[in-house]
Amino acid sequence: MSTPNKVSKVSKSVRLENIVKIFQDPQSGQKVTAVDNVSFELLPGELVTLLGPSGCGKTTVLRMLSGFEQPSSGRILIGGTDVTQVPANKRDTAMVFQSYGLFPHMNVFDNVAYGLKLRKLPHAEVEEKVLRFLDMVGLKDLAKRPPSRLSGGQQQRVALARSLIVEPSVLLLDEPLSNLDALLREQMRVEIRRLQKSLGITAMYVTHDRVEAMSLSDRIIVMQSGRIIQIGTPSEIYRNPVNPFVAGFVGKAAFFSCTVRAIGERCAVEVKGQTFELPRWASGLAPGASAVVMARPESLLLGKPGTGIEDGTVTTNVYLGSSVESWVSTELGDILVQIDNPDVKKVWAEGERVSLTFDPDLAKVLSPEDEPA
Amino acid sequence: MFTRKRVTGFILSLVFVLLLGYWVFSNIRGAFLSLAEDRQLQTVAAVTTSFPEDDVEAWLTRTGPQRSAYLIAFVPSLPAPGEPIRATGDEALLALCDRSYAESEFARGFDNVAYEEVYRAKGEWTAGKVSGSLVFAPVLTSGEGGALLLLFDQAGERSFLQLLHVLSAVALLLFTLVLWQILFSRDPITGFAIVGLFLMTLTFVAYPLFEALRLSFVQEGRFSLEIWRSILSSRNYREALFGSLTLGFWTATTSTAVGFLFAFVCSRTNVRFKTFIATMGTLPVISPPFSLTLSVILLFGNNGLITRFLSSLGVSDFSIYGLPGLVAVQTMGMFPIAFLTLSGVLEAIDSTFEEAALNLSASRWETFSSVTLPLALPGILSAWLLVFTNSLADFANPLILSGNFRVLSLESYLEVTGMNRLGHGAALSILLLLPTLTAFLVQRFWVSRRSFVTVTGKPSGRITELTTPAARRVLTTLIAAIILLLLMLYGTIIAGCFVKNWGIDYSFSLENIGEALSRARDALVDTVTLAGIATPIAGFLAMIAALLIVRKKFAGKRLLEALLMTPFALPGTLVGISFILAFNRPPLILVGTAAIIVINYVVRELPVGIEGGIASLRQIDPAIEEAATDLGADSATVFRTIVLPLIRPAFISSLSYTFVRSMTAVSAVIFLISARWYHLTVLIYNFSENLRFGLASVLSTVLIFIVFGVFGLMRLMVRRNENLAKSITHGA
Repeated sequence: MSTPNKVSKVSKSVRLENIVKIFQDPQSGQKVTAVDNVSFELLPGELVTLLGPSGCGKTTVLRMLSGFEQPSSGRILIGGTDVTQVPANKRDTAMVFQSYGLFPHMNVFDNVAYGLKLRKLPHAEVEEKVLRFLDMVGLKDLAKRPPSRLSGGQQQRVALARSLIVEPSVLLLDEPLSNLDALLREQMRVEIRRLQKSLGITAMYVTHDRVEAMSLSDRIIVMQSGRIIQIGTPSEIYRNPVNPFVAGFVGKAAFFSCTVRAIGERCAVEVKGQTFELPRWASGLAPGASAVVMARPESLLLGKPGTGIEDGTVTTNVYLGSSVESWVSTELGDILVQIDNPDVKKVWAEGERVSLTFDPDLAKVLSPEDEPA
Repeated sequence: MFTRKRVTGFILSLVFVLLLGYWVFSNIRGAFLSLAEDRQLQTVAAVTTSFPEDDVEAWLTRTGPQRSAYLIAFVPSLPAPGEPIRATGDEALLALCDRSYAESEFARGFDNVAYEEVYRAKGEWTAGKVSGSLVFAPVLTSGEGGALLLLFDQAGERSFLQLLHVLSAVALLLFTLVLWQILFSRDPITGFAIVGLFLMTLTFVAYPLFEALRLSFVQEGRFSLEIWRSILSSRNYREALFGSLTLGFWTATTSTAVGFLFAFVCSRTNVRFKTFIATMGTLPVISPPFSLTLSVILLFGNNGLITRFLSSLGVSDFSIYGLPGLVAVQTMGMFPIAFLTLSGVLEAIDSTFEEAALNLSASRWETFSSVTLPLALPGILSAWLLVFTNSLADFANPLILSGNFRVLSLESYLEVTGMNRLGHGAALSILLLLPTLTAFLVQRFWVSRRSFVTVTGKPSGRITELTTPAARRVLTTLIAAIILLLLMLYGTIIAGCFVKNWGIDYSFSLENIGEALSRARDALVDTVTLAGIATPIAGFLAMIAALLIVRKKFAGKRLLEALLMTPFALPGTLVGISFILAFNRPPLILVGTAAIIVINYVVRELPVGIEGGIASLRQIDPAIEEAATDLGADSATVFRTIVLPLIRPAFISSLSYTFVRSMTAVSAVIFLISARWYHLTVLIYNFSENLRFGLASVLSTVLIFIVFGVFGLMRLMVRRNENLAKSITHGA
């Protein structure tokens, strides 16, 4: 694979303003709000992921960006120009579909060349450019093959090359890796990130897979039931989720009910009679309110029974080399505890009674109203 | 979308076109009216100069009544304003005078006459059946003076103006739609396609049907139930309705039995020559009409080979004409419908069910009767209903074979062509539509939903032998007998080409071939030309319609789908009658042209093509088309470069289906042909009616070869596409 030449076009920003999409059920005539007042902005050259459970409206947002769906209200701007009324074929976006949507009656070369031929480029130029892009995705040797004789990963690369070759202002990816097996998925993830960064193209990525979102994105937009819940960098979302839903969706987490005692420099909470002072807390909490403490597996600590806030039994230990994952069965359910540097720290044997507590510096107080997913 | 600029643009251009249109319209109208007025004044001048010195009465009767263009009356002495008029002449006109002498126009008229001026009264005047303009003319030759009253009939003018109105309205509507699409649609090409299909179906499906329905309720220009009363109270027509139903019942039953036999043997036993059996089970469905009928006449007709043979054996009361003969011939022609339906159903029933039953130590017969048959039952019912509809709508076979037996399709044809009673013909074919439509709807929405087959998933590809050797021998013997009969029928047609004069002189001759080809050359060229024109139109329209129905969201989609599919359920005779009703008068006069035949083909064969297109589009991932759109292709480009290549098999099938059906059309086309545009099947019918069986055989053979050739070609082309079809369904 060669290093791609930088696409000469200046990448553009994308802005959605108060986008609402209401679908009407053709049978019952009922109206469903799929996207509810969504606004965000993509900076030029940025890769932003829409993350959320299926049915949360993320794909609808992407389809409105590409022009396949028309927003019920709101505006879409690409590079500062209002494109809300521009149909899909005249919009400067390119989409990579979940099922790739390769043209089965054309070979790899013709698939990639399709967009250029529509733009009536000279034949020689088309050929040169297609081969360059096929080279970029490592498929130069397979140019004459029909898509049906390619592996899933290869098909994915063709779809990617076909979208990138038209030099779109915005690249849209709709769960592009969901049809691949785990190993290929990891490879393609790296590949997509490499191409996107080196071409400097603005990209919007839709997925329900948190690992994908975390590893690819400059920023993540978490959606739930058609609304944006949180926008932030992967580490912000992971460390500082706004509610238990986001916390549970982007990673493993344990939740302990607590009562807020005081809020000052830190937030003091009482968990089972013990008081902790945490540096981070959700807005809107006031002393006396009931809340939850969210702690990630790596911020959970195990000790002798009775020493922590919740007792339980170690059921399984998974040895991962740099760490050990211990599953602890408690009255709150099965909780995952990650023990880093197991050669140094104590690993409790399976079947042993233990007690759980958390490192207050790494945990966060959240408002309990949203149940974790 | 609805920006202020565009809305103003829309309104401004609409206003501009309205003004321009009105200007053109009123100019044409004015020019036409002044022309008509000039003609009237010329007539008036001619009439007044011919006014006699004496015997005015005789002159009036001479000039007035026999000239239907105007009514005339003579007023010997001018009345004072407001006084009653004493006049002689046309009675209706005199009645008008008595009615309206007090009106100011009359006073003004006589005033002008007093100054020896011709005066044309304002407004429209009606006397009896005539209405139009009233002219007051002075009598110059008579010494004491007097006035002539002339009332000109303006029916011609009125209908011209009416046509002008309709055309302007249609032009304005079209302009508005086009402008709307261009300004306000994100996808004008799709918009045009939708509007175009709507206009087409409304004009060529809804409008003729409405006209047929309307005519059956109209007698002498006003609403009346007279036609329906006479039809429903007539014993002949009741007999025909009952006859159609009886025929349909028996044909459907025997066809389903034969079709099931073929399908069962092909899908559930291990007999040899399955491909041959399947081919023989399919061929009759594309055979031209009259071909099987013709050979049945050649063999079993009054002078047929077998009839002669039987009478030499002493059987003299044998006759093929009537119900039994019709059932036999229809079964031969229609069992393929049942076969194709049932083999699909039986192949989809997984053999593992039968294996499970056999495994539970059921006998083969028990397995068949308790597993296979119940699973196939919805399919059997479906096949029965399909054949039933086809039998009711069938027209060609009864035309030749019915004898004294009456069926509705034939009666409606005889009403129209024999008695010239279009209203009765329309009513009868509407009556025929009721059972046809009922069966069609039951099959479509009830039986097909009760099918168990879809639940079972993919066929395993294995066949469980369900028959004992003895049973198999019985089944194969039956099938062999039917195939032999079919081969004999086809063979007879070919033999008929080479026989000098069938029934009289069986010596070998090539005369018929030469004569038939020279006499039928024009008809053959017409038939192929018309089918050739209709084929690509129907093929493309079907694929476009399928794409719109499957992929696009728009208001009125269900209505459009229903309109497009309706002709499938309509008996051909109804389509034919409604077309001649709707298109032999303004605004669309098409009767006698090639266009009406082509349009008829397109409209009637479109539904099958659309169904095929829909089925194959549903297998294609919509992301493929979206990807093309996303890369910058507009709707037309997506259709041309992506959709059409992907649904090529459906497209080719639709093309060949339309061609074959158009080549073998008869029931609707028999009403629409003209001296200029003739159809081969009708010619075959004429030849066999005139007992020129040799000529009919030659033409049937030619038609069979063309149709089978096209069908075979299509099969080859589609098979080459199977690879593609597979890769489409696998998602990439």
